[in-house]
Amino acid sequence: MDMEQSLIDATLAVFASMIFIDITPEAPSKREPVAIASNLCSLIGLAGDLKGILAIQCPGQVAMGITGAMLGMEVTELDEDAKDAIGEIANMVAGGLKEALAASGRKIELAIPTTVIGKSIRTSGLSGATRVMVPFSCPLGRFGVELRFILS
Amino acid sequence: MPDTLSVAPLGPEILGGNDVSSFTQISNKIIESTIEIFTDMVMMEISVAGEPLLELAPLKRSITGMVGLAGVYRGVLAVHFPKQVALEVTGSFLGMEVDEINDDVQDAIGEIANMLGGNLKTILSDRGKDIHLSLPSTIYGEEYAFTSQADAEQIILPFQAPAGVFYVEVELER
Repeated sequence: MDMEQSLIDATLAVFASMIFIDITPEAPSKREPVAIASNLCSLIGLAGDLKGILAIQCPGQVAMGITGAMLGMEVTELDEDAKDAIGEIANMVAGGLKEALAASGRKIELAIPTTVIGKSIRTSGLSGATRVMVPFSCPLGRFGVELRFILS
Repeated sequence: MPDTLSVAPLGPEILGGNDVSSFTQISNKIIESTIEIFTDMVMMEISVAGEPLLELAPLKRSITGMVGLAGVYRGVLAVHFPKQVALEVTGSFLGMEVDEINDDVQDAIGEIANMLGGNLKTILSDRGKDIHLSLPSTIYGEEYAFTSQADAEQIILPFQAPAGVFYVEVELER
């Protein structure tokens, strides 16, 4: 199973069904090496036949824009709404991944999303885990969808 | 940025028919297991540093280790260390000197979250069955607020290590 493609498919499905912003996954050959400066990061743990953690990394402007589009209102700060919106996106992308894994015979369960808001937040996983990071572009800027996992 | 986190009373809608009304009562077991892990694995004496908290101010120059719980209970266990405490804990745990937040520190803090999560599993359910841990992860930065979803109950336990206070946080879905 191509985890990167599953991650892209799950993310596109969530944005197409609830957020109505056009997003494009950056092709591997065209990805800028520049890290995405994350001001808001929502994380959710995955457990079962795959142990992992999924993270949505957003610069502040992008998180506010996505939240505004999702809720149909203007969002001007990284507040409860932004936390809930991006946390819910993490939850739903993880749900999509769960379905894709189930289709290939792997059962996983989800933990609950947690959101970290701050300045230049950095996250890392256990050394030894596989890391897939897909940058997406949208009119608001770039954001990242990251999965670190171990197949058990 | 939200500076308050509301903690509503427990609802009856609990996954799997289990009762989480004893959530505050499990805090004593979490305290015991935290002290045990630090004594046995980190080789460091720690003690309780006051009453449990319901919210935490934004963390400054800190590193957080976290691990998700899935299954009969869904939640997150996180341990928040100020940088100096993280360096001291890593040094003691790995038996080496560290002076910056590097890969060793991230691995050590992630592993401590993993061990605390493993114990929390057994506290919540008989021998930890029906609860699975996610991969641990670490978060660090100059300043950040760590927040759970609105429908999760949380408890934050402060501990005193030689280099300062750190916090163990547990969030469980209602």
